[in-house]
Amino acid sequence: MRLTSTISHDIRFQWRHGFYAVYVIVCLLYLLLLHFVRADYQDSVIILLTFLDPSAIGLILAGGIILLEKDQGIHNHLFATPLRLQEYLLAKALSISVLSTAAAWVIHGFSAGIPVSPILFTLGILLTSSFFTFLSIGVVARSHSINGFILLSQLYSLPFSLPLLYFFGIGREGLYLIFPTHGSLLLLQSTVRHLTWREIIYALTILLLWNAAAFIWAHRSFERRILLRIDERREQQ
Amino acid sequence: MINVEQLSYRYPGANKRTLQGIDFSIARGEVFGFLGPSGAGKSTTQKILIGALRNYTGSVQVQGQEIRDLGPDYYEKIGVAFEFPNFYSKFTALENLKMFQSLYKKSKDNPMDILRKVGLEQAANMKVSQFSKGMKMRLNFCRAILHHPDILFLDEPTSGLDPLNAKIMKDLILEQKSAGTTVLITTHNMHAAEELCDRVAFIVDGQISLIDSPRALKLHHGQKRVRLEYTLSNEKHIEEFPMHNLGENTRFLQLIRQHPIETLHSLEGTLDQIFIDVTGRTLV
Repeated sequence: MRLTSTISHDIRFQWRHGFYAVYVIVCLLYLLLLHFVRADYQDSVIILLTFLDPSAIGLILAGGIILLEKDQGIHNHLFATPLRLQEYLLAKALSISVLSTAAAWVIHGFSAGIPVSPILFTLGILLTSSFFTFLSIGVVARSHSINGFILLSQLYSLPFSLPLLYFFGIGREGLYLIFPTHGSLLLLQSTVRHLTWREIIYALTILLLWNAAAFIWAHRSFERRILLRIDERREQQ
Repeated sequence: MINVEQLSYRYPGANKRTLQGIDFSIARGEVFGFLGPSGAGKSTTQKILIGALRNYTGSVQVQGQEIRDLGPDYYEKIGVAFEFPNFYSKFTALENLKMFQSLYKKSKDNPMDILRKVGLEQAANMKVSQFSKGMKMRLNFCRAILHHPDILFLDEPTSGLDPLNAKIMKDLILEQKSAGTTVLITTHNMHAAEELCDRVAFIVDGQISLIDSPRALKLHHGQKRVRLEYTLSNEKHIEEFPMHNLGENTRFLQLIRQHPIETLHSLEGTLDQIFIDVTGRTLV
């Protein structure tokens, strides 16, 4: 009940702050871009866009939302209620994943039609978006300003872009297996080809493991660096 | 209701303990005030009591249970109104209350009824960003009582309010007291504490130097004298008299019979002065 109401509130919060409106424009720009891409490159560009987009939404929006909440001074009030920190974090990840999934389906649906495997495509978007949401929360807990957050988030997310090298044919696959985003790119390729069971199990496992690790990191970071800091600041006043 | 023994707390990385072994207890239905200057430790004490800081030493029991062992369900029993009345600014007052209400299991009241109680029903559909400080403080109070808490924590509840809004806030607090809610107030506003609290604790440098009722403090620390202001030949005169056998004090009786009296006051202490006398500090 608390989780569903928090998710619903987060979606309304994002709507009210114009995030959805911005994403309609972003999707239209993507579609316009795809319109000018040569047909033989289109599949690769769609996979690339649907990979980069949920990563960017998770990474930028989660941090942005938390900075907005920090600015509005809402956290100490929120955590003086029965709301658990894990519910708060999951609500952020799920609400942002909804936006990512909707955006990915719009981009894919209008440019290339229904993916070959809609379920794997959707799972790929959801798990990639939630991983980057948790990563973003860990990063924003270490940032004091929007500029600091943007800089730091690029630094933390950079290693997770490395599997793109393999996507472009650089290096052996074994080098990239440890990265969750290699799993993301595999699941997104299910839009154009059938994946083997081995690939599906690997991709889902690596994404779930990294999601769990990022969740724990985000939880610790938020608790120590945002909740505890509130107390320290207040006592100094 | 609340029992605290030898409570100490040191913030991570701090050299000095913010709280240095404090003891107090608060009875059910009591309004208890923590008075002290900024940095004295009153907000830290409140943070521990609301379960936000767990790694304290000593014992802090609420309804017989140690706070550090309580889970987030503890928040079903307590209401907290922080000093700064922050809300989701792009949401209306009603939307904010509904959101916070959805986080509690037992909160079934219509938020409009609560808004009506504090005179905000006309502003229910206004965005909080358009609210004045007084309106936000009342809304802050609404949020704290949404779920009928057993214990209410109020941090500087009259801070920054004009006299009218301060009076409304005091009446709301007294209404909670008459409904049986235990209320803890942290403040450096002695006047508000005097009007609201059954007992007050003076806290300075992480230590409690005194706990008593405002009335007892004022009587004990004041002078047992009255001050009379009267006019004689269009000039104001002031004289003081001991309270003992005042009815037989011929000079006093003569003055009040023969001259127009402007003011007549007993000289009990003020909480401000008592605080300075006891702690050697001012409430700034």
